[in-house]
Amino acid sequence: MAAKKACESFSKSLIEDVHKWGCMKQTGVSLRHMMEFGSKPTDRNLLISGQFLHKELPIRIARRAIELDTLPYGLSEKPATLKVRDWYLDSFRDLRSFPEIKDINDEKEFTQMIKAIKVRHNNVVPTMALGVQQLKKGMDPKIVYEDLDEIHQFLDRFYLSRIGIRMLIGQHVKLHKPNPAPHVVGYIHTKMSPVEVAKNASEAARAICLREYGSAPDINIYGDPSFTFPYVPTHLQLMVFELVKNSLRAVQERFMYSDKAAPPVRIIVAEGIEDVTIKISDEGGGIKRSGLPKIFTYLYSTAKNPLDEYTDLGTDDRITMAGYGYGIPISRLYAKYFGGDLQVISMEGYGTDAYLHLSRLGDSQEPLP
Amino acid sequence: MAAKKASESFSKTLIEEVHKWGCMKQTGVSLRYMMEFGSKPTQRNLLISGQFLHKELPIRIARRAIELESLPYGLSEKPAVLKVACFFMLYVDLLEPLMESWRNSLYPESAFEAMVRDWYLDSFRDLRSFPEIKDTNDEREFTQMIKAIKVRHNNVVPMMALGVQQLKKGMDPKIVYEDLDEIHQFLDRFYLSRIGIRMLIGQHVELHNPNPPLHCVGYIHTKMSPVEVAQNASEDARCICLREYGSAPEVNIYGDPKFTFPYVPTHLHLMVFELVKNSLRAVQERYMDSDGVVPPIRIIVADGIEDVTIKVSDEGGGIPRSGLPKIFTYLYSTARNPLDEYSDLGTADTVTMAGYGYGLPISRLYARYFGGDLQIISMEGYGTDAYLHLSRLGDSQEPLP
Repeated sequence: MAAKKACESFSKSLIEDVHKWGCMKQTGVSLRHMMEFGSKPTDRNLLISGQFLHKELPIRIARRAIELDTLPYGLSEKPATLKVRDWYLDSFRDLRSFPEIKDINDEKEFTQMIKAIKVRHNNVVPTMALGVQQLKKGMDPKIVYEDLDEIHQFLDRFYLSRIGIRMLIGQHVKLHKPNPAPHVVGYIHTKMSPVEVAKNASEAARAICLREYGSAPDINIYGDPSFTFPYVPTHLQLMVFELVKNSLRAVQERFMYSDKAAPPVRIIVAEGIEDVTIKISDEGGGIKRSGLPKIFTYLYSTAKNPLDEYTDLGTDDRITMAGYGYGIPISRLYAKYFGGDLQVISMEGYGTDAYLHLSRLGDSQEPLP
Repeated sequence: MAAKKASESFSKTLIEEVHKWGCMKQTGVSLRYMMEFGSKPTQRNLLISGQFLHKELPIRIARRAIELESLPYGLSEKPAVLKVACFFMLYVDLLEPLMESWRNSLYPESAFEAMVRDWYLDSFRDLRSFPEIKDTNDEREFTQMIKAIKVRHNNVVPMMALGVQQLKKGMDPKIVYEDLDEIHQFLDRFYLSRIGIRMLIGQHVELHNPNPPLHCVGYIHTKMSPVEVAQNASEDARCICLREYGSAPEVNIYGDPKFTFPYVPTHLHLMVFELVKNSLRAVQERYMDSDGVVPPIRIIVADGIEDVTIKVSDEGGGIPRSGLPKIFTYLYSTARNPLDEYSDLGTADTVTMAGYGYGLPISRLYARYFGGDLQIISMEGYGTDAYLHLSRLGDSQEPLP
């Protein structure tokens, strides 16, 4: 199938509009602002929020659409990439053709529209992964993909931006929900207990490990369960789940055929003034120092790639222990999104420690790549 | 005392030679090579080693001399503080008369630079004026001479600390020391180069030892047990803690004591000592006035294929993420500075728990010297983990800044 350029399916004026909006300045929002603003979902505030998004979302989406068209190594021409690009262009068009939001009825319709946009983009991650996979197949096998720095940097910017767009849309949509749960402002839980989230994520990861290997190492969590702070539980759940999943897999594979008891994975939750830090430690044998940078690249995975098995990504949502090679880099993006970070240190021959730093201050603006 | 320009003390041709040698390419040596070469200390090999050093040391020393020379002049627009590298040299053995004259002098910078350059140029002059090494007698005399060079350079670290401290006192408080990136980079290069020079000199000198200890090749122990070195370093650190606080937290070490690999025990001792010292201090200060059980420091020694990794973990309360980069700078320390108490650094060799702010940056240089690294991660409100990676491969060339 010949590469389809955007200009063949989208009007010239739309493409010009994309380029114009893609050059405009993005505006970041902090966790604290989202929390304070969202705690008073009056009609007036919903209107203000809607009008902000009506201007901000096209800018962010246009930036990504332009980048998707100019990727190196022919990545832009791959069928999967074109699919994603078309999603971005469709969404841009929907936003730009929506009339000025003047009253609460306009705002309700706008909300429905951006809800649909979010759904349209649901499978961006696996689809982009497929695009890169398609690229890998056609490329000179001598080129080491982990070294394709430009692609990794692009994917970091792309996914970080996506986290922001989905956060903004999701917050706005959720604010319409009548009778919100106590202490909840959209996706933000003002009294989130990290110990509790870690417990849930660990149990979910253990369940997967049990299903795949027939057994799973223990997980011990140390920390004050009554300690809470404002954060997005789904983000934390995703990150802890990924890290624990990796640790369980490493320990399981190391001790599977051994007489020795598998050492437990240990999670420590520490509360500081600037940060809440969650450390996940395992004795799964560690990663050699020269191999450590690779774990943050997209496409690096020591497991068999599951993408080859699934033809219809649209309906498949089974989670496997490994294979995409996306878990750690994306977890780090989530951590960085609200001013935090993810660091992984390993002791070759012993085990690995992952440190999740979550900023408590809430003042960090969203990073805007 | 009028500022003495280096050119007034030494002939112009010598200065030109320094510049010529300072531009020549340095030659690195790997741990493996040092080990293999040094394991056969025949007359012939000692001669070869002497000839190599005769050519190599002047190049390395000249590079540092040139850098010291250009540091102040090149930064004349910037505050005097950036010339710090030269300042501490003047505190060699706390030459009080010289300090007095510096304080009263109109050109303190020039005086400092001159002292620094003189110091390095003295070494350079010694080396360059030594006749070409032709036989064993020449070689023996050469060895004595470089031994003398090593001693002359012995006080560099405490002197630099003092100098920087003095500088800090006189500086514009608005300038944030941690941001003085140029100084830190210069100091990193300077000290890394110093580690290399002392290693080469030390290896050569030790090879003359008629009764070397078993399994030792100069400073290198071919069967070093990291667990054993960690135990010794921890005990030393605990002693200091006991002496200063009256009590000391426990240190538990996990690892195979029988596991050995080739490395320089003094380097490892220095690094583990620094890290354990910091951990003990943190835990001690956190639990000193508390009834709670004092959590022990935990050391794990792991042997891999590429690396031997030593982790030193404490529950001393941790460091905030924003404060972590500072711990690797040369001017940062949370302890009361002990330097003010000692007037004669020349004879003072009491090791204190903290205060210089040099332990971590220099430990990291030692780690990197043989292809390893030192990483510190902290959990604010809980504790700190330090990871010492030591390369097992032994193939890494010395880094040559």
